Amino acid sequence: MINGNLKASYGADERVLNNRNKQMFVYGCLLLLALFPLFADDYAILMACKMGILLIAVVGVNVLTGYTGLVSLGHGAFVAIGAYATVVLSNLFTALPEGVLPFVVVPCAVAISALVGIVVGLPSLRVKGLYLAVATLAASFIVNFLIEQELFAPWTGGVVGINTPVPNLLGWELDTKREMYGLITVLAVLTLLGTQNLFRTRVGRAFIAIRDRDYSAEILGISLLRYKLMSFAISAAFCGLSGALFAYFYARILPEQFELDLSLELVAALIVGGMGRTMGPVFGVFIVLIVPELIKISMGFATGGDLEMQRYTAPVQEIVFGLILVFFLLKEPLGINQITDRILRSANRWPFARG
Amino acid sequence: MGQFVQFAINGLMSGAIYALIAVGIVSVYKATKVVNFAHGYLIMFGAYFYFTFAVVIPGFEGAPAWLASWQPAWMVEMRAGLSMFSPLGAVLDWVANLPRIVFGLLGAVVCNALLGLLIERSLMRPLMGQSVFAMIMVTVGLISILSGAASLIWTADAAFVPHIAPNTPLRFELFGTMIFLFGADIVNMVIALLIFGGIVAMVKFTKGGVAIRATAEDQSTAYSMGISVPKVFSRAWILASATGAVAGAILATRNGISPSLGLFGFSVLAIVLMGGLDSYVGVLIAAMSVGILEAMTQWKMGGEWAEIVPYVAVLVVIIFRPHGLFGQKEVERI
Amino acid sequence: MTLNRRTFLATGAAATATLGAPMILKAQPAEYVLGASLPLTGPFATAGQLVAPAFALAQKLFNDEGGIAGTPIRFVTEDSGYVPQNTLANYQRALATEGSALVGYFADSTGAMKLIAPELKGENARLMGSTSFASELANPETNPYQYISGPTYQDQFDILLQNIKAAGGSKVAFIYSNTEFGRDPLEHGRAKAAELGIEIVLEEATKPQGADVPTHVTKLAQSGAEHCILQGYVTGVWPQLIGGARQFGLPVQFHGTFWGMEKLIADRITAEAGPFLAGYQGIMPYRYFYDRADAPRYEQYAALSKVMFAGTPLENYMSTWAIQTMCGLELAMKALRDTAQAGLELTADNVAESLSGIENWDSGGFFGGPVSMVNNKIGTGRVYEYSPETKLFTPVSDWLST
Repeated sequence: MINGNLKASYGADERVLNNRNKQMFVYGCLLLLALFPLFADDYAILMACKMGILLIAVVGVNVLTGYTGLVSLGHGAFVAIGAYATVVLSNLFTALPEGVLPFVVVPCAVAISALVGIVVGLPSLRVKGLYLAVATLAASFIVNFLIEQELFAPWTGGVVGINTPVPNLLGWELDTKREMYGLITVLAVLTLLGTQNLFRTRVGRAFIAIRDRDYSAEILGISLLRYKLMSFAISAAFCGLSGALFAYFYARILPEQFELDLSLELVAALIVGGMGRTMGPVFGVFIVLIVPELIKISMGFATGGDLEMQRYTAPVQEIVFGLILVFFLLKEPLGINQITDRILRSANRWPFARG
Repeated sequence: MGQFVQFAINGLMSGAIYALIAVGIVSVYKATKVVNFAHGYLIMFGAYFYFTFAVVIPGFEGAPAWLASWQPAWMVEMRAGLSMFSPLGAVLDWVANLPRIVFGLLGAVVCNALLGLLIERSLMRPLMGQSVFAMIMVTVGLISILSGAASLIWTADAAFVPHIAPNTPLRFELFGTMIFLFGADIVNMVIALLIFGGIVAMVKFTKGGVAIRATAEDQSTAYSMGISVPKVFSRAWILASATGAVAGAILATRNGISPSLGLFGFSVLAIVLMGGLDSYVGVLIAAMSVGILEAMTQWKMGGEWAEIVPYVAVLVVIIFRPHGLFGQKEVERI
Repeated sequence: MTLNRRTFLATGAAATATLGAPMILKAQPAEYVLGASLPLTGPFATAGQLVAPAFALAQKLFNDEGGIAGTPIRFVTEDSGYVPQNTLANYQRALATEGSALVGYFADSTGAMKLIAPELKGENARLMGSTSFASELANPETNPYQYISGPTYQDQFDILLQNIKAAGGSKVAFIYSNTEFGRDPLEHGRAKAAELGIEIVLEEATKPQGADVPTHVTKLAQSGAEHCILQGYVTGVWPQLIGGARQFGLPVQFHGTFWGMEKLIADRITAEAGPFLAGYQGIMPYRYFYDRADAPRYEQYAALSKVMFAGTPLENYMSTWAIQTMCGLELAMKALRDTAQAGLELTADNVAESLSGIENWDSGGFFGGPVSMVNNKIGTGRVYEYSPETKLFTPVSDWLST
C-alpha cells in the first residue's frame, strides 16, 4: 500500500518531510546521532567526526556541481582557506574574550572563503565543463602554493603548518573529541537542512535551471552572472565552514592536508553518493571514509599483521577508491541515492509490482 | 644576456617534452572528446615500463650479457686510458647501453600501447555518447587506479635508467657567461619535436588521420560516412599511450623515476587548455612558452615558484580567451 | 653482565624488596604497547621497508631482556605512506584501542611529529620518538614528550659548515627539497655561514621527487660554488644532482645530512651509474653497522639478525635508517625501564622526565662515547666519506659535538 502520501493541503505537500516514512527515518537518525556518543568508543567517535567534517564540504560541492552543474576539482582549496582563516583570525583577534572568539572568527572565515569562491568562480561565466574543471584545479594549486610560501609563514606557518586554537563557545571549551562530535554533528545536520531548504527557494530553483540548460535559463530571465557566482559563493562558504571545523578538530594543520587528494575525495564522495540529492553526500562520505578502513582491517586479518604485507594496503586502498568511482560512473551514475530510492519505492508499493 | 640564453634553451628543452606529453591529450580529445586527466599517470607507467625493460630485465640471471652492457673488443680498447667523465667516455657509455635502451623503449611503447587499449576498451567505450562530466570523472578515477597499481607493482626505489642519447656535456661561452647543456637533453628535445611533427603530419595527411579529424568534427556523421568510430577511438588511445611511453622514458632519465611523475599530467593539462584543446599548433606554442616562462621563473625566483607557472598562465589565458589561444569556439545549439 | 629475563626480574624484585616501596602501578597491563608508523609506501618507501624489520628485532631483544620490569612489550607498526595525517590517524587509532597500555609512539616524519605534538595533552600524552631530526622538536618547553635520537639538522649543518671552513671552503650552495624536511635548517645555516665567513652563492629549492635535475645542475654550475650541502632527500634527486654535476665536470664537493648517508643507496647508485659518488661526504650521528668492533650492542643486533633474517640481505647489514630507529627505541626503553625501576607509573610525564634525565649513557656503540640527553636531543655526530672502491663510508673526522 502507498501509505502516508495523501496530501490535503498545499502546505502539507510543500513540507520538507512530506510523508510519514521520511519523518520516521529522519527523526530516527537524529535520535541515533544524539545517542551515538553514549555507546561509541573513541575510535568510532573519531571516524564520525571526520565524516561530519567531510560531509559539510561535500554538501558544498553538491550545491555547485550537483545542483548548478558547474564542475570543480579544486574545492579542497576552500576547505584550506576556511581552516587557515580560522587560525589566522583567532591569532589576530586576541583582544576578544575567548568565549566569543569562535562566533566572530568562524563567520569571518566562512565569508572569506565565499569571497575567494566568487573570484575563482569568475571564469565560470566564460567557460564550462572541463575548462572550468581545469580552471578550479589550477586555482587550488595556486592557493595551496601561496599558503606554503615563506612570505606568509608568519601567519600561516608555511610548510610546517600551524597550531590551531581550542574552540571556546561562551566558556564551554571543546577540548575532547566527544565534545567536538556534538558541535560537528549539529552543524552538519543544519547544513543538510539548509541545502534542502535552499532548493525550495527562488535561488535554488535558479541553480537547477542553470544546471539543466544555462542558455535556456538565461532566456527565462535568470541572471547567469549573479546565480553562478552565488552558487560558487555558497558552495565555498560550506567548504569554509568545514575547514573551520577541521581546524578546531585537529590540534595542528598542514598545507598538504588540503591538496589534490582532498579535492578528488570531495567530488568522488558526491558522485558515489548521488549528485543533486540531499542525502547523496551522506551516503558518499560514509562509503569514501569507511571502505579504506574496512580494507585496512580486513587486510590486517588476512595477513595476520605481517609487516611485509602491510605495504600493499595503501595501494589497494587507492585502487579500490578509483574502482568505486569508476563503477558508479559506469553502472549507477546517480549514485547510492538512486539505489536507496529504488528500494524505498518498491517497499512503498509492496505488494504491487515494482516500477 | 648569457644567462638569459641559458635559461631560454633550458625552457625550450622542457617545453618540447611538454609538447610531447600534450600531443597525447590532444589526440585523445580530438578523436573522443574526452580530456584525459590521467594522462600523466599513463606517462608514469611508460617510465616504469622503460625502467622494467631497460634495467630490471637485463639484470636477470638468464638475460644475455650483451643486453645489460654491450662490450665489444674495440670498445674496451677505446675505453682504456680514458678518464671517467670525458665526453668520449659518455658516448661509449651510451653505445654500451644501446641494446638495453632500444629494448627498454620498445618494451615501454608496446606495453603502454596495450595499457591504453585496455583502458579504452574497458572504461571509455562503455561511456561513448555519455556526458562529458562522466567521462572526465572516469579519467579522474583512473588516476587512483593507475597510481595505486604502479606502487603495487614497482616499489619506490632510487633507480637510474640509461639516458636515451649520449649525455655528453656541452659547454661554451656566450656573452661572457658559461653555457652548460646536456647532450642528452638536446637529443631528447629533437626526438620530442620529431614525434610531435610526425603525429601532426599523420593526422593531416594519412587516411587514419583524416578519420580522426572527421570524427572530431562530428561523430555521428563520421559514423554514417563509413568511418569506424570505435576503431578511431582505439587508435587515438594507442597513439597517446605510445607517445606517452617515450615521454615517460625521457622524464625518467631527466627527473628520476617516482610516482610523482604523474603530476606532470596536470601541468600539461593546463598547457593544453591554454593552447586550445583541439589545436596542435596552439598547444606547441603554449608548451614552448610555458617551458620558457618556467625556466625564467626558475632563474629569477627560484625552484618553487616555477611549479605554479602553468596554472597561472592557464587562468590568465582562459579569462581572456575562454577556448585557449587557438582553440575552436564551440557552437552550442539549444 | 648481560641481563636475561630471569636475572633482570630477580634484580628488579630485590630492588623493590630492599626499598620496601610498594609498586603503585595502577592496573598494570599484561603487556605494554609501543606504536609506530612507517612509510612502507609513498616517496620514502625504501627507507620504511628497511626499517620495518628492526621493530621485530627490537621486540625480540627487549622481551628477552625482560621487557619493562618484567612486563613484555609489543610493537604495533602501521603504514603511513609518509603522510602526516595518516600517522596522526594511526596514533589516534592506537590510543583509542590500546588505552593506557600504549606507553610510547614512533612517528615517521617531522610533519607528523609537529601535527601530533599539540595532541599530546593530559590523558592523551605519550612519549614520542621519530625518524626526524627537526630542530623545532628539540625543545622540552614546547614539546616535553618528544625527543630526537641524535643531533638536529641544525647541528648537522653546523658540523658540516665547520668542516667546510676547516677545509678552506668559502663558497657554498644549499640545495634542498621544498618540504619542511628540506627547509628545516636553512635559516640557521645562513646565520652560521655568515658567522664563519662563508658565502652562500646559491639556495635552490627542488621538488622532493621528480625534480628538474638539468636546470638545478645548471644553476649550481653557474653559481661557482665550491661546496654544496644537500638536505631533505632520502633515495631520490640527490644522486641525480651529483651525477649531473660530475658529468659537467664541476669540481663541487657534495655534503649530505643523515638521510642521504645510506650505504645501500650509495652502493646501488655506484652499481647502476658508475663511481661518481667518490668523495661524497656527509654527517652521520652513529657508527655504521660494519664498524662494530667497539660496539657491543651492535654485536647483539648482528647475532639476532643472523638468526631472524637468515637468507635475506638484512642478515649481515643493518641500514643507517634502521640504526636510527633502534637508537630511538633504546632511548625510549631506557626511559621506560628507569621509570618502572623507580617505582613510578609509566605516565608520559614520568617517562619524559626519566628521558631528559639520561646522562652519560653508555649506548653500547651507537655513539663515540657516553652521551647525555640535552634539550631532548643528543648533539653529536661524525663526518664520513664514501668510497666507491671499498663501498664503505669511512670517518674523516672525529666525533664532533655541538
